Amino acid sequence: MFLVEYLLKRLAQGVVIVFLTSLIIFTLLRVVPGDPVRLIVGGMANDTVVKEVAEKMGLRDPIIVQYGRYIAGVVQGDFGQSYVRPRNGMVVAGGEYIDPTKSNMAPVIDLVVERLPLTLMLAGMSLVFALLVSVPLGIFGGLYPNRWPSSLALLVQSVFVSIPNFWLSIVLILFLSVKLGWMPALGYQGFAYVLLPAIVLAVEICPFLIRTLTVSLGEIMQAPFIDEARVRGLSRWRIVIGHALRNAAVPLVNLLGMQLSVLIGGVLVVEYIFDYPGLGHLTVLSVVARDFPLIQGIAILTSAVFVFINILVDLITYAIDPRVEL
Amino acid sequence: MSDTRTREPVLSVRSLTVGPTEPGSAAILSDLSFDLHSHEILGIFAETGGGKSVLSRALANWLPPTLEFRGGDIRFKGKSTLDGTGHSMLRPGREIAYIGSRPQSSLDPTIPVGPQLVEKLRAVRPEISAADARKKILKLLAEVRIPSPEERFNEYPTKYSGGMMQRAMIVDALSTDPAMIIADNVTQPLDVTIALQIVRLLQQLARQHGLSVLFLSSSLSTLNQLADRVVVLQNGRVAEIGETQALINAPATPYTRTIIDQIPRIWRSTAAPAVSTRSADQPIMSVRDVKRTYYVRRPGHLNSYNSVQAVRSVTFDVMPRDNIGIVGESGCGKSTLTRLLTALEKPEQGEILFNNRPFNQMPQKELTAARRGFQLLLQDPYNSLPPRMTVGRMIEEGMRIHGIGKGAGMRARVEQAMTDVGLPTSIYNHLPNSLSTGDRQRISVARALVLEPQLLILDETVSALDQSEQNKLLALFSRLQAEKNLTYIFISHDLAMVRRVCSRIAVMYLGELVEIADNRNLFYSARHP
Repeated sequence: MFLVEYLLKRLAQGVVIVFLTSLIIFTLLRVVPGDPVRLIVGGMANDTVVKEVAEKMGLRDPIIVQYGRYIAGVVQGDFGQSYVRPRNGMVVAGGEYIDPTKSNMAPVIDLVVERLPLTLMLAGMSLVFALLVSVPLGIFGGLYPNRWPSSLALLVQSVFVSIPNFWLSIVLILFLSVKLGWMPALGYQGFAYVLLPAIVLAVEICPFLIRTLTVSLGEIMQAPFIDEARVRGLSRWRIVIGHALRNAAVPLVNLLGMQLSVLIGGVLVVEYIFDYPGLGHLTVLSVVARDFPLIQGIAILTSAVFVFINILVDLITYAIDPRVEL
Repeated sequence: MSDTRTREPVLSVRSLTVGPTEPGSAAILSDLSFDLHSHEILGIFAETGGGKSVLSRALANWLPPTLEFRGGDIRFKGKSTLDGTGHSMLRPGREIAYIGSRPQSSLDPTIPVGPQLVEKLRAVRPEISAADARKKILKLLAEVRIPSPEERFNEYPTKYSGGMMQRAMIVDALSTDPAMIIADNVTQPLDVTIALQIVRLLQQLARQHGLSVLFLSSSLSTLNQLADRVVVLQNGRVAEIGETQALINAPATPYTRTIIDQIPRIWRSTAAPAVSTRSADQPIMSVRDVKRTYYVRRPGHLNSYNSVQAVRSVTFDVMPRDNIGIVGESGCGKSTLTRLLTALEKPEQGEILFNNRPFNQMPQKELTAARRGFQLLLQDPYNSLPPRMTVGRMIEEGMRIHGIGKGAGMRARVEQAMTDVGLPTSIYNHLPNSLSTGDRQRISVARALVLEPQLLILDETVSALDQSEQNKLLALFSRLQAEKNLTYIFISHDLAMVRRVCSRIAVMYLGELVEIADNRNLFYSARHP
């Protein structure tokens, strides 16, 4: 009963956060330079055309009115239609006169839903890779401080943290795809296409995971109850698995929640480099095209995902350590 | 229990020497020999840092990696437990169980107590089924008088009080049916009443279960309460072994004699209680009908609170040069009262006057200035000193805040205060981390003294120290009082200490001041239990 009450409260908070995010994004998009109408009608069109189209699209109304109109749609599940992407998938080029209010433009929700699974798969795979590397390194680093496992952990994290992702992407493409031909590099035609970008993203989050795990496990191993467990007769294996790792997992789980933001940031660059048709790729293109409805849709969706993941993280933390106040 | 003397000892230690693994370093325990007979409670006395923990860890096969066996033998039930290379072959937890002095941090805080005790029992004795282990633990929990064991079984360690946790750790030790128990300073973190309960409980359980107990303590009076024989350690060597009564009444070595003399003799008429030195002036601080309630969020509910009346309707006066003691069990509201007295918190009702000015009417600026007049000294000298600040800077800080003294003048005053409390001025630029507990407390005292206060509030200031350090600091307090016209409020759970230094004593019970009387009257005709 208590948990249900808690969940309702957190979800209500989450809705408020998502609304605030959308308001900020909405306002900022309209304040920063760059007129979508100019991009739609093309550089050669004269100012009266720009003005006409803009008024027709409602872009000259006060921002708050525009926002009200937009959010009323969102509540009904209508995120609007893209300014520049027609249903058939072609991107409209400048100079060609189109009417963006016409129904042949792709709805934002379709565009996002189409890309989202690909990005989730990429993020999931990179988390798997990152955990595969950092969990063993972090555990042994934490168990044997000042010996070679902890030096190895330190070495790996220092190297990984100093590799820029765009550079690594290019190097991996060059060696694994071009020279050795092991993996496909660009685009997406199947699961194998996820691997390279996932590796790049994994390298980006690995150092944080290794560091957190090493430090928290090292600290826990110094705790009196771990020391005392030995004289109480528990085996070392039982102490480490059953008690030390359990306690060390709390900061790790919290970090994983926060690393999500690193992943989102990383996805923008990496998807673009690998021409991977995910949400990041879509975001870059829509920002370049000033495709307001699309940018807003992605922002709202991303913040909703954040809120959800954070609730999940708090619940997992509570399950491990019930002292944590919910 | 002299009849046990004829049997073979359960544990016999022969010329045991333990020291750091670093070659050339001095041994911590040297040439230690003693026997523990079956059904016997053997007390081992050593001062803080006297090798008690090293001894108990050596016997339980729990030496930290920095220490090693250098020689001698530990025979358990007639068999040597050490192999040729100086390693113990004893399986920890099985035959020799250990109870330590840190009950609150002995168990994993994220798992309920019961399952952890079951886990230990089954780790040591895998032949017992989970259901049987659970039954056994529940039975033992009832035996150590933990209320409603069925419910407590599934509670987390943080929900247990210090005394209860120590009981749970006794269950933990007993569950595997060991032949002997090593109790390392088990009463140290507990207050007197709870400690006595634990001592009685251990005594009774040892009799019921036919256990031998090695009870290590830095309090000879505790050992007096339960040990059949006592071993006195001095600098890691045996100074004296004897029957408890004989040893205390007629100590054979000068060392033992000094130790015994340092025990405050609370019920002996020879030690005169402190005489009142107060003058009949106006009260320096008066507390009028003060109340403070805390609201604790009830676990599992979002909007309901339990209210705890931590301090209710407390009234008393503190006269200049008066030493007033406030005593009470843990959790009776002493700390809350301290926070009120120092204006860290505001009372809900009633008022506190300092030099006839009530705190709640003082503007913030005046309050800060008034704080110069009363200074608080805390219990824990480790957490109350900032670790990355030099000693001198720390003592100066109060002066900086109150804007007194500059440059060389400030330094001179700091050095004066350091001399006053008996600290060498050479440590002015040192960091506090290498200092002993006693010296750290001296820093706190100096830090308060530079501000030339009229009133010092001592919240368990000496309870973290061992007996001899306590004596030195108390002597320091009375000397400072004579020199500087100070007034003290001692807040403590240690009646013996309070009786020795205070002229008036107030007793708190469940947030109320149940009794306030002159020293002699209170002890000879106490009205409240």
